Amino acid sequence: MIIEVDRSVYSDACITKCVYALSNDLDCRRTLCGERERIEVSPRVVDLSPAEVQHLFLCTLNDYKAREVIATETHDIRTILYAKAFADCDEFEEMAP
Amino acid sequence: MRNYYLLPFDFTRVAHHEVLVNEYGDMLVLPQGSVERIVDHRLEYDDVYKDLVANFFISESRVPANLGIYASRLREKKRFLDDFTALHIFVVTLQCNQNCIYCQASSRSEQSAQCTMTFDTMEHAVRLMFRSPAPVLTMEFQGGEPSLHPALIRFGIETAERINETERRELRFVLCTNCVHLTDEMLDICRQHRVMISTSLDGPAFLHNANRGKVDSYERVVAGIERARRVLGADMVAALQTTSVQALDYPAAIVDEYVRLGFRSLFLRALNPYGLASNGQDWAHYTERFIEFYKAAFEHILYLNRQGTPFVEEFAAIVLRKMLTPFSTGFVDLQSPAGIVTSVLVYNYDGYVYASDESRMLAEVGDFTFRLGSVHDRYEDIVYSPKVQHLAQLWANEALAGCSDCALRNFCGADPVRNYSTQRDPYGHRPSSLLCRKNKAIIEYLISLLVERREEVLPIFKRWLQ
Repeated sequence: MIIEVDRSVYSDACITKCVYALSNDLDCRRTLCGERERIEVSPRVVDLSPAEVQHLFLCTLNDYKAREVIATETHDIRTILYAKAFADCDEFEEMAP
Repeated sequence: MRNYYLLPFDFTRVAHHEVLVNEYGDMLVLPQGSVERIVDHRLEYDDVYKDLVANFFISESRVPANLGIYASRLREKKRFLDDFTALHIFVVTLQCNQNCIYCQASSRSEQSAQCTMTFDTMEHAVRLMFRSPAPVLTMEFQGGEPSLHPALIRFGIETAERINETERRELRFVLCTNCVHLTDEMLDICRQHRVMISTSLDGPAFLHNANRGKVDSYERVVAGIERARRVLGADMVAALQTTSVQALDYPAAIVDEYVRLGFRSLFLRALNPYGLASNGQDWAHYTERFIEFYKAAFEHILYLNRQGTPFVEEFAAIVLRKMLTPFSTGFVDLQSPAGIVTSVLVYNYDGYVYASDESRMLAEVGDFTFRLGSVHDRYEDIVYSPKVQHLAQLWANEALAGCSDCALRNFCGADPVRNYSTQRDPYGHRPSSLLCRKNKAIIEYLISLLVERREEVLPIFKRWLQ
């Protein structure tokens, strides 16, 4: 079956992660057509109906979209957090003016 | 609606709920649809909102005021890295007096030559161990059956104690033995140097004997355990179980056998795909059956606890410690960065140093990928070698495809050696990894218990963690 995805909504990385996560269950062939991506999806082993395949793919894709939003919005605070947790803390104390 | 900022977290779905896990492993269970509302900034000021703020999932300021606490908790979760390699495994010999059907160590008969460590190798290995900066050093003697060579073990311990007169570390000793050949001499060494015994018992007699390829193994092991307890004290003897294919049908009987023999805990351990155990198995089928076996045994353990028999499942206790406490664990199989090198080094009988116990098991089938050097090499040339540097790029699940987006990564670990041995690629492919499948299933099962049967299981789990 073919699933069409709007690339202005779902990034390449987001689709790639979705395809990777499902790669034990689904074979996916991706084709970029302008702003839309056509993904030819077929079950590898498990017996899934086309409706189930579509549901599985889109739910997984939406989860990765949510993760992408979280990762983008928290990128800077995550960097600060790791620096504060694992760098030599003294070097990260604010300097007196 | 309130104006708020997201903090780093991931999520999964368990038992018809959304389970949110933040960067240092704190978990929050919310109704379906919560993640979408959080991410879309559509939260109302209610109890969920307050929980999310209090538990570092969202913040009311761009940089949370208590970021320092958040950072300290993250650092605590990786505390095991501070000391570097603490566990040092000495493979004394491959000679063994049993014939286990699932042997992962490619053991050989008692008469086999050229598979026992020399005294010179032992001395060099001990000296190398002291190059690790860890304040606590554990020497674990493995085999084959190491108790076949008490003089070598005594030499290793006494060499370590002599060096330690100036090093002043805390030394711990563990003897991994089948307890079949615990002589007076061996027990005297254990008593004198406070060596803990880690033995192996697979369950009731019929099961244990079938696994060992001997008719009297169970009888001799149980006698050895009782003898060791008399000489060393009950707390100095622990046992591990390995789940052979036959054992999969007897979850409750195995637990009951451990209780009957006076053990207070059990580590439900799956077969590893190394050595003899790798031959002729349908690992996918085995993994699915093991997951069901684990759940059945675990339910029986919960039942015993409810009936007033305190009994711990050790694998769950490790995961629960990661889930329910701010602390890390020393369990090398569930760490990120992985336990190889950072937490464990193996000195093999042949004088070579390996990244882990599983690495030397691969070597026995002719694969030396994880051989890091020799006991005669400089410590720096081993632990900072190009091979280890390459492994370091693959040993953090925060940076691995399939793990980095997994909400359960805080409770799990990375394992390049297992990836390599099962998938021929140390990076690994998570969607088809059976280790990932097994760990995820067990961790999700434990979370489902906390979601659906919290009042029943939480008091039991808290007792396990005391």
